[in-house]
Amino acid sequence: MKLEMNFKKIGVVGGGVMGQGIAEMLAARGLDVLLVEKNNEKLDHAYSMIETSLDKKLEKWGITPAEKKLTLSRISKVTHFAELGSCDLVIETISEDLEAKKAVFAQLDQVCPSHITLASNTSALSLTEIGSSTMHPERVIGMHFIYPVASINLVELIRGLKTSDAVVEAAKYFVEETLDKKGIMVYESPGFVSTRLICTLINEALHVLEEGVASAQDIDDAMRIGYQFNRGPLEMCDRFGLDSVLAALEGMFREYGDIKYRPAFILKKMVRAGQLGTKTGEGFFKYDKDGDKL
Amino acid sequence: MKVLVINSGSSSLKYQLYDMTDESVLAKGLVERIGMDSSILTHKPTGKEEVTEVSEILEHNTAIRKVIEKLTDKTHGVLASVDEINAVGHRVVHGGEFFSESALVDAQAKKNIRALIDLAPLHNPAAIMGIEASEINMPGVPQVVVFDTAFHQTMPEKSYLYAIPRVLYNKYKVRRYGFHGTSHYYVSLAAAEFLGKPIEDLKIITAHIGNGGSLTAIQGGVSVDTSMGMTPLEGLMMGTRSGDLDPAIVPYVMNKEELSVSEMNSMLNKHSGLLAISGFSSDMRDITDGWEKGEPNSTMAFEMYEYRLRKYIGSYAAAMNGVDVLIFTAGVGENSAIVRKAVCENLSYLGIEIDEELNKIRSGDPRRISTPNSKVEVLVVPTNEELVIARDTYRIVEGTQA
Repeated sequence: MKLEMNFKKIGVVGGGVMGQGIAEMLAARGLDVLLVEKNNEKLDHAYSMIETSLDKKLEKWGITPAEKKLTLSRISKVTHFAELGSCDLVIETISEDLEAKKAVFAQLDQVCPSHITLASNTSALSLTEIGSSTMHPERVIGMHFIYPVASINLVELIRGLKTSDAVVEAAKYFVEETLDKKGIMVYESPGFVSTRLICTLINEALHVLEEGVASAQDIDDAMRIGYQFNRGPLEMCDRFGLDSVLAALEGMFREYGDIKYRPAFILKKMVRAGQLGTKTGEGFFKYDKDGDKL
Repeated sequence: MKVLVINSGSSSLKYQLYDMTDESVLAKGLVERIGMDSSILTHKPTGKEEVTEVSEILEHNTAIRKVIEKLTDKTHGVLASVDEINAVGHRVVHGGEFFSESALVDAQAKKNIRALIDLAPLHNPAAIMGIEASEINMPGVPQVVVFDTAFHQTMPEKSYLYAIPRVLYNKYKVRRYGFHGTSHYYVSLAAAEFLGKPIEDLKIITAHIGNGGSLTAIQGGVSVDTSMGMTPLEGLMMGTRSGDLDPAIVPYVMNKEELSVSEMNSMLNKHSGLLAISGFSSDMRDITDGWEKGEPNSTMAFEMYEYRLRKYIGSYAAAMNGVDVLIFTAGVGENSAIVRKAVCENLSYLGIEIDEELNKIRSGDPRRISTPNSKVEVLVVPTNEELVIARDTYRIVEGTQA
């Protein structure tokens, strides 16, 4: 297989925060994107969020009006999986729910010819299990992009037990040559590398907060200024979404059975209260509607 | 000998076919939107109807195949067979320190052009694609590469070094390269011919001002200084590029506005210059329209553009301890009588005097716009980079066959 420009037309399933970011980044790189959501309303919302994100880049001089138009023109809105049959690669980005993901992959397996690569943007779930819902698990791979997708140049490539070498190689080529991001190779393991390390850090920061050792702002400043983190662990938690962090920790706690992954109570409490971070305007810090910290 | 000249961009490809017996253009054209399913090929055979075709052209290989199909087409073509193309000349933006003149394409040349991708990430990869696509479609036909930077390789160290730690030059080749070299070279030669004087005796300042713009000081026929630097961002104020600025502004603004490196780069290259000051256009025709109507932002953009251009002319006169010829070329230089007049009016201390009537004449030929009294010959010389590429290709290929 010739690797040059191996994936040109890409399906993105799910128009949430990650789906929007991935679709925008791919289109900005000149690739054609089919963005899939359950209904027109959700699609229009995702599309308008991408437009807002491009407007922000325009305001910051990162792109020109012509580039914005061109990027948007490469994203097509789709509500039926059947249309994904013409893609070279499909990336699933729905919420971190194993059963829901398996259902999506079973459907994709039906509509996409067997040579088409199917990727999941899961940040922690088992690729082997997701792959098991298809007839061709050898073409299923994990492609874990990190928020904000446009500016974080790392992708974890996760191989399930049955993922073929050819699919791994093509995915690595795509990530490094076409997307110009660093692809790290990960063998399947709960939480992979990045989620396992960062969620453990966030969880420890939550314990520190819970114990009244320091204020949220001071905890974040300690890591931000002291260790050159771009953002402190609590703001990171707000931006990932408290529910997502909780789900990842619970998953790792269950899988490893190690108490170090047990989610801090304050996290559960805030999720129950619906205080999910940036997307609800409040988590450990408060945010405006553009997601800027107040 | 028939020579095909190719200028490959990342998503476009321009071509011209020359018959070198009389340097006539047999056909020219353009492929746009390469990589998309609706690419556009525009083919203009000399003396025949122009044709446009929309089709899927996903990469340069297909683009060149389509161009050859058009060149040999029964109705729109100008050749009986592709075998009539004896040589191919490619425009390449960056030749670094490897190339001080045009060169025959071989494995080493390709390796060197590739090695320069780091310095010209937007341009050199496209050139490589054009060269490889030509090899596939015209196997065995000799190819020549002509560089935008080559003409400036004669600059002395004192012109091309930056006053920063030398280790950066040693490690990364951070230095002034200059661009538009093919154009500066062509117009200086054409000017000497027009004046009937040996170029070796002349001190020439060439102003290549189009969308991008650069100025070159040419003494004894060689480039001794040029306004663009390691990248095309330095020097004159341009359509969307800032030109010279205090480098300390970069970290200051990045910090204040929390900008990334790529956002800062995009700001200086795509959101600055005439566009930033006028607030609405990067096109000098719009700016002069606004200036004539007294619109304040256009007026400021025009005045800054002219002032900065004039300062550079003054500095190159100082660099050469005098100037005999001032040449205007490229889009703005060839067409904007207003810009030429504004610049020259304030260069009277150099003894420049232009004839307003001559300045207003529009023509495709080299022409003088200074008065007989002027101490400096001021000329407008339409540039022709493709012809230089065709000539170099012809000369080099002839040389290898002799």
